[in-house]
Amino acid sequence: RCVLPPLSKCRWSDIISTVEFNHTGELLATGDKGGRVVIFQREPESKNEPYSQGEYNVYSTFQSHEPEFDYLKSLEIEEKINKIKWLPQQNAAHSLLSTNDKTIKLWKITERDKRPEGYNLKDEEGKLKDLSTVTSLQVPVLKPMDLMVEVTPRRIFANGHTYHVNSISVNSDCETYMSADDLRINLWHLAITDRSFNIVDIKPANMEDLTEVITASEFHPHHCNLFVYSSSKGSLRLCDMRASALCDKHSKLFEEPEDPSNRSFFSEIISSVSDVKFSHSGRYMLTRDYLTVKVWDLNMETKPIETYQVHDYLRSKLCSLYENDCIFDKFECAWNGSDSVIMTGAYNNFFRMFDRNTKRDVTLEASRESSKPRAILKPRRVCVGGKRRKDDINVDSLDFTKKILHTAWHPTENIIAIAATNNLYIFQDKVNSEMH
Amino acid sequence: MLGRGLKRKLSDYEENMAGLSSAFDSSRSLPYPLRRQLVLNMCLTKLQTYKMLVEPNLHRSVLIANTVRQIQEEMRYETSQQPVNVCNGIAPNPHSYPGIDSSGISSHMPSGSNHPPTCLVPTGDEPELKGAECVFGSFEISNSTSYLKDLAIDDIFEDIDTSMYDSDFCSLMAARPPAAATEETLKTFPSCNSSSANNIQICRTDLSELDHIMEILVGS
Repeated sequence: RCVLPPLSKCRWSDIISTVEFNHTGELLATGDKGGRVVIFQREPESKNEPYSQGEYNVYSTFQSHEPEFDYLKSLEIEEKINKIKWLPQQNAAHSLLSTNDKTIKLWKITERDKRPEGYNLKDEEGKLKDLSTVTSLQVPVLKPMDLMVEVTPRRIFANGHTYHVNSISVNSDCETYMSADDLRINLWHLAITDRSFNIVDIKPANMEDLTEVITASEFHPHHCNLFVYSSSKGSLRLCDMRASALCDKHSKLFEEPEDPSNRSFFSEIISSVSDVKFSHSGRYMLTRDYLTVKVWDLNMETKPIETYQVHDYLRSKLCSLYENDCIFDKFECAWNGSDSVIMTGAYNNFFRMFDRNTKRDVTLEASRESSKPRAILKPRRVCVGGKRRKDDINVDSLDFTKKILHTAWHPTENIIAIAATNNLYIFQDKVNSEMH
Repeated sequence: MLGRGLKRKLSDYEENMAGLSSAFDSSRSLPYPLRRQLVLNMCLTKLQTYKMLVEPNLHRSVLIANTVRQIQEEMRYETSQQPVNVCNGIAPNPHSYPGIDSSGISSHMPSGSNHPPTCLVPTGDEPELKGAECVFGSFEISNSTSYLKDLAIDDIFEDIDTSMYDSDFCSLMAARPPAAATEETLKTFPSCNSSSANNIQICRTDLSELDHIMEILVGS
């Protein structure tokens, strides 16, 4: 007898753990807790069906990481994909890096739509022919066949990390990338798997003195010598690799003094930076902490130039959110193609967008009900206290198990990808250049 | 589209409420020292739970340990300021909590006879942060099965005032409707909240662990 689980209770392994567009936006990759990578491809434009452009369909699925066991440490290593990063495309093939807690892998994705036929010594199945039947010499020819997408592992970068890898970032030189765990950042060459250079190490000599960990890290989009890493104390450190081989001393420290009026037991926890992203221009950095998103100017270290409240109504609920561990949720953030709008996730399958120019913000919901194909998303509102307008949702009825941690924005167009537990939502602007 | 003619069902509403409700929701009405103690208890419980994991989340553990440090620093400062009044200041007054069965509290209250109150007393130069710091010691050797050996559960509480634990847990339980009391109390321990994301590994050990913690906290 087959008992189907209720729809709402998805399999643990199906939960999406990362979303990433490639550099053209033609491909979109997701990773999940089961170690799988699913690649979606945007359908080419069709004149008959103007709407079909922009629809993403599954292009390829492969198992990137398997659960492993570290016999030396007696540790189980989860297969969960923590991050995916696409490499800039250099030939017909696409390449991406995927990582779990410990091991980074380089995958090559190639298409094949032709196959050679008519070998002299081999038959159709590839078996050797009986030589006595070979009477004439023939030239093999390429015959068209159904498109096949092949994914092959090209490199495996193992044994570089003692702690959990939280970020990977490909350098603008296209030859190196870095990987960051809780205490260290390593620099790798994409072609060399047996050695990496440690560029940041904040592990104290005595682990009892440990009060801060690295939470995210990224290379500057244009200057291959610059990178930033964020910390659990809410600071950002910009490092210049030209200064020294080991960038323990930052070049710039971006930090905002704590607001004494908002002090609580959880001040440090909610100030921990969960994600940091350079703007496409390279001038700004976007950070997400538990309650806010902030935009920092690389030229100003003392405070962010913009701070947006994501869900300030949770400030009075921090104790409960600490109790149920939600306060440790690592929300990511994203820029749109022109760096004018930022996006980040929230609870109850809500996500937020902030227009930096108009200062308008909107709360949208990724749900099956609201996401009929081509339906227009309706702004949602969370109310606090008694005043409640029609369609408002009360802060006490938010569902904290439905969280949008991972979002991605198409590099040039207004297309966004939202991972809501085991569902991937792709929303597209109805009219170009207008935000909905 | 959600919202048009679709009302959230009452049961959903309640379910969601349960997701976030806790004794600590009402903690804003509690006096500051008691609130602080509640948070400290939660921190210690979490640290204890994380140590059961083979490879605990370093990020979380650091954040929690820093919170413990901050609270302990604050308490140490207060005790050095007014060593005499602290006990009175922190001692819970049963009348100030509506809905609390005062008899339930008094039975556990350190009332003098066989429960000598171990009030906050300046402990001199003793390393008070030992509890929190030991946690990271375990990361160093987190692979070894004996990583708990130098961190008996008592160590964590050794330097921390435990006089409040009795009354805290009493108030936690008493502040709720009696029928739900047991379940709700379990929720206080993150390891028992099955909706929590990363507790799959914890659940195996949580019950005996919970008993153990309760034993220590209740002082039996």
